[in-house]
Amino acid sequence: MALSPLVLPGDPIPPGALPTSSNPSIPLKLGPGLRHIPPDRIVPVVAGELCIDHKKNAVWVETNGGRYIPTAGDLILATVHHSTSDSFSCSISPHTPFASLPHLAFAGVTRKTRPQLNPGSLVYARIALANKHMDPEIECVNPATGKSDGMGELKGGMLFDVSLGMSRRLMMPNPSAQGSMVILDEIAEKVPFEMAVGRNGRVWVDAEGVAKTLVVGRAIQETDEGNLGVDEQRKVAKRLLRDL
Amino acid sequence: MTLPDASLSHIHRADGSATYLQNGYSIIGGVNGPIEVGRRDELPEEATIDVIVRPAVGVGGTRERHLESIIHSTLQHVILIQNHPRTLIQVTLQVIRMPDSDTFNSKKRQFSSPLRILPSLLQTALLALLSASIPLSTTFTASLITVARGSNTVINPSPEDLQNARSTHVLAFSAEGDLLVAESQGEFEIGDWERVFEMGLHAARSGSENRKGADSDVVMLDDDQGGALRGLVQQKIEKDQKWKENIK
Repeated sequence: MALSPLVLPGDPIPPGALPTSSNPSIPLKLGPGLRHIPPDRIVPVVAGELCIDHKKNAVWVETNGGRYIPTAGDLILATVHHSTSDSFSCSISPHTPFASLPHLAFAGVTRKTRPQLNPGSLVYARIALANKHMDPEIECVNPATGKSDGMGELKGGMLFDVSLGMSRRLMMPNPSAQGSMVILDEIAEKVPFEMAVGRNGRVWVDAEGVAKTLVVGRAIQETDEGNLGVDEQRKVAKRLLRDL
Repeated sequence: MTLPDASLSHIHRADGSATYLQNGYSIIGGVNGPIEVGRRDELPEEATIDVIVRPAVGVGGTRERHLESIIHSTLQHVILIQNHPRTLIQVTLQVIRMPDSDTFNSKKRQFSSPLRILPSLLQTALLALLSASIPLSTTFTASLITVARGSNTVINPSPEDLQNARSTHVLAFSAEGDLLVAESQGEFEIGDWERVFEMGLHAARSGSENRKGADSDVVMLDDDQGGALRGLVQQKIEKDQKWKENIK
C-alpha cells in the first residue's frame, strides 16, 4: 500500500482527497487530527498521515506521538491511586488529573459487596465519560448488560509502556495480518501468555513466571522502539526465545 | 546560508522532542502536555503554555526571560489552546551549543544580540510540538536577517555577516504568509526594514509553495527552510508508519 499523503497543521486538504462515499446519505466523519472551520474548510491540526475510509466516509490523521487524550469508549489500563467514599481515583497517564472509577461500576457489585482495590492495583476499564472541561470517568462493567466483558482488576503479570501507535496496532482484530505484528504469534508458539492492551499506551502481560512475561513485554517494546519489520521481528523473537 | 538539520522524538520520557541544528546552534526541545496545571496558573478556557529556555552555559537570566516571552506569545497564537482548557503545555528548550561568535566569554558579548538564537529556538519549539502531536493551527518559518553597512541584506547570515551587521532582524511567518514575529535590533531605516520583510516573506513562501505538492508523491527538498521542515517531519512519519508497507 502506498503511503497516504503527509499533512502538516494548517495544510489545505484538496477536495479531491476527501472520501467519496457511494451512499450520499452517510455524512462525512472527521476523526482525530482534523478540525472543521465553517462553512467548508477541513484543516489538519497535527502532522501525520492522512487516512481515508471510503466505505465509512471517514477521514482522519494518523500519528504516533504524544500523550494519550481520554476519549469515551476507549479501553484503557489504569492504576488505582487511592479510594474515596464512593469511587477509586485512577491514573490513566502520568501528571494528568485522576479518573474516577465508581465502586459500583463493577460487574455483580452491590452496596454491601464493594470491590476492595488497594493503591497500585491495575484495572482494565472503559472510559465512560471524557470531556475537555471535566476529569474523565471510567467503568469496569458494560452498563447495557451488567457484565464485565473482560474488564476488572488484573492480578499478577507486568505492565509495559508502548507508544500510542503500537497500542492501536495491538488492538486491531488481527494484529499479525492487519498490523504486521507477527512477533506475538512467533512467541505464542513456544510461550503461552495472556495480554491486555490499553489504548493509553500500556500493555499488561502475564505468563508462567517472570522470565516468560519479560520475553513477551520486551518483544513488544523492541518492535515498537525499532519500528521492526516482519523479518526483524522474527529474528528478535528467535533471540528472545533462545535466551529463555 | 546553511540548511537546518534535526531529529524528532528521540527523547524517551518526553511526550515530544526535537533536536535542531542550524548556523552553529544546536538546541534540544522537549514538550510535555497536556498535563495537570497548578491552581495558580490555571486558565478556565484555554491551556497554559510554559516556555523554559536554558542557556548552554550557566543559568538563565534576563536574556533568556526575554526570549521566553517572545516564544510564549508566538506559540500562544499557533497552538490551539482552546482544545485543552485547564491544562499545561510545557516547552523546554535547552541550548547545547552556540557558535564561537555568540559564546558567553566572547569579548564582543555586549554586541551579541539575543535575537541571533531566536529563529533556532522557535523552529525547535515547532518541531517538538509537532512531535508531541499538540494541535496547532498552522506551522511557521522563522528566519534571521541582517542588514550590513551599505544596506546589504543577508538571510541566515554567516558569522562574518553578523560581525558586519548594522541591524539584526527576526521574522517569522505562518504557512499562510501572516507575520507572527517581528523583532529588530540595531540601526536601520524604514526602507531597510521593508526589504527585510520582503526577504523573510519570500523565504517563508517558498516553503509553503511545497504545500501544493501534498497530494503528489514528489517531495521537494528545496534549499529553503519551509521545505526542509516538511522533509524532516516526513522522514519521521514514514519511519513511524513503516509497518503499513506490508499490508495489502
